[in-house]
Amino acid sequence: MKSIVLSSVVVAVLVFSGCSSKEPSVDASSGANSGMGNESAKGSMNGETSEMRIARLEKQFSSVYFDFDKFDIRADMQSKVSDSATLAKTEAKDLTIKLEGNCDEWGSDEYNFALGLKRSESVKKSLIASGVDASKITMVSYGESNPVCTEKTKDCWSKNRRVDYKLLP
Amino acid sequence: MKIFFTWLFIISFSFAGDATFDVIKKVDSLPSIAVEDASISYDNTFKMQFFKALVADLNVLSIFNVDGNYRNINFNDNNVLVENKDMKYVLRYKMLEDDSAGFNVELKLYKDNGVVFTKAYKANKNDFYIFISHAIAVDINEFMGEASVEWMKRKVIFSKNVSPKKTEIIISDYTLTYQYKIIEGGLNLFPKWANQAQTSFYYTSLDKKPTLKQLDIKSGQSKAIMSSDGMMICSDVSADATKILVTMAPNNQPDVYLYNVATQKSTRITTYVGIDVGGQFMDDNTIVFVSNRLGYPNIFSQKINTGVVEQMIYYGKSNAACSVNGEYVVYKARESSDAFSGNTFNLHLISTKTDFVRRLTATGVNEFPRFSKDGDAILFIKNYMDQSSIGVIRLKSNKNFLFPLKSGKVQSMDW
Repeated sequence: MKSIVLSSVVVAVLVFSGCSSKEPSVDASSGANSGMGNESAKGSMNGETSEMRIARLEKQFSSVYFDFDKFDIRADMQSKVSDSATLAKTEAKDLTIKLEGNCDEWGSDEYNFALGLKRSESVKKSLIASGVDASKITMVSYGESNPVCTEKTKDCWSKNRRVDYKLLP
Repeated sequence: MKIFFTWLFIISFSFAGDATFDVIKKVDSLPSIAVEDASISYDNTFKMQFFKALVADLNVLSIFNVDGNYRNINFNDNNVLVENKDMKYVLRYKMLEDDSAGFNVELKLYKDNGVVFTKAYKANKNDFYIFISHAIAVDINEFMGEASVEWMKRKVIFSKNVSPKKTEIIISDYTLTYQYKIIEGGLNLFPKWANQAQTSFYYTSLDKKPTLKQLDIKSGQSKAIMSSDGMMICSDVSADATKILVTMAPNNQPDVYLYNVATQKSTRITTYVGIDVGGQFMDDNTIVFVSNRLGYPNIFSQKINTGVVEQMIYYGKSNAACSVNGEYVVYKARESSDAFSGNTFNLHLISTKTDFVRRLTATGVNEFPRFSKDGDAILFIKNYMDQSSIGVIRLKSNKNFLFPLKSGKVQSMDW
């Protein structure tokens, strides 16, 4: 006795048929700095657009590196954070600072993302303690999804355990 | 002596249903099964693809000693092939493409050379052949009177890192054979099915402020649910899909929140000043989550109404992810603590009633465990030797199966 197609298979097939007839919902990578394009159109000073100024200033901020599974700021990183705080209070005082927390490849779970966030928070607290306006700082964690190095070496992993500075108008 | 056997009897039956105990089945004790192809459509490459898929599914069932030899036969021959005459079971199938390019499969199961089960299957096109293979395996398993393996038919959704800040979200079957890219471009992570029917899913978009979104598969429409500074992740969806547990950090503090889908209100559940993430529903009033409140990540439970927190796991140096099914918790434990060389992360299973611990994996980075609804299977991510795979652990038969990803690295997944 032959029975007819499994209903669940039909459901699966219909669902996937539905998928194939649709364009994927593309979350276009508009980027967190999408506003910068608009700002760049707002004139320039000495030939330097707003976008160029942000790019120049960003290079002066040094990433903060962390030990494995830690989110406290190492002694050798304190001076870098202090330099960044000075920059944030002077040349970049009109800009918002976005602190991007990152982790090495050892774990893709939520804990790793939280670790990246706590690293950002450590830097934020240090910046505030140095007099940076708290309202000008935002944070995000990218977990292990934003590596600057993908080799399987200790040097590479240490480069990925970091907080980057991004400047927003 | 009588007392000894009485105790042995009691112990055997006490632990007979405990998944934390290893079950060693001798391959020789399983009934043999061979597979015969009687297809008249499709080329040899596709015929071999389907045959291998079916053999793999039968192996995952773990109830047969499966013969992997490929053999052809006429579908209407009365007897099984002479090479298979000593097999306890023979599965014979015929693939046929109809006039509208539909994919049809007719099936016969022989036992001791007599037909004991027949069924016919149909799909819109042969691209979906893997789902027919899974459906056949589920039916054969049911015919054999074994516990349900309906999880084989569920769809897996996973995000894949393709480059820095670039991911893809893909829907697939549990073996990753069929893959459909549902979101590409941007940084979209932690997909989580929004309901049992798997018609929509939640995911985290990190292109701007961390935002929880929900995408309806049929319409392809995505809508924003809520945003938070720092992080925003859907960790679990209640069985009736009315509540979800999210990790967010509106005050720079990662905590577990309960979100009511109907009222769109969220309630903070955990309040520790460190890291609380990855909430999972244990029952109507209890969640299990990951916290570093002891100075390292470990698994805790908390009553939603009273806030009473209890440590769940007392083994492992660093336990950063878990999944819950009834009394069982499967968790990821770091087996080494080394910043300068490769680390091993293994999955362990613990019963909250007996506290026995069973290690489920042995090598590589094993993470993101997810129980099947019936609790018999655990899906997980394995990264080992530059290869990213999705693995399946069959608890009752004590077997692990790996399905490698051709490129990229699996970031997170749900099924």
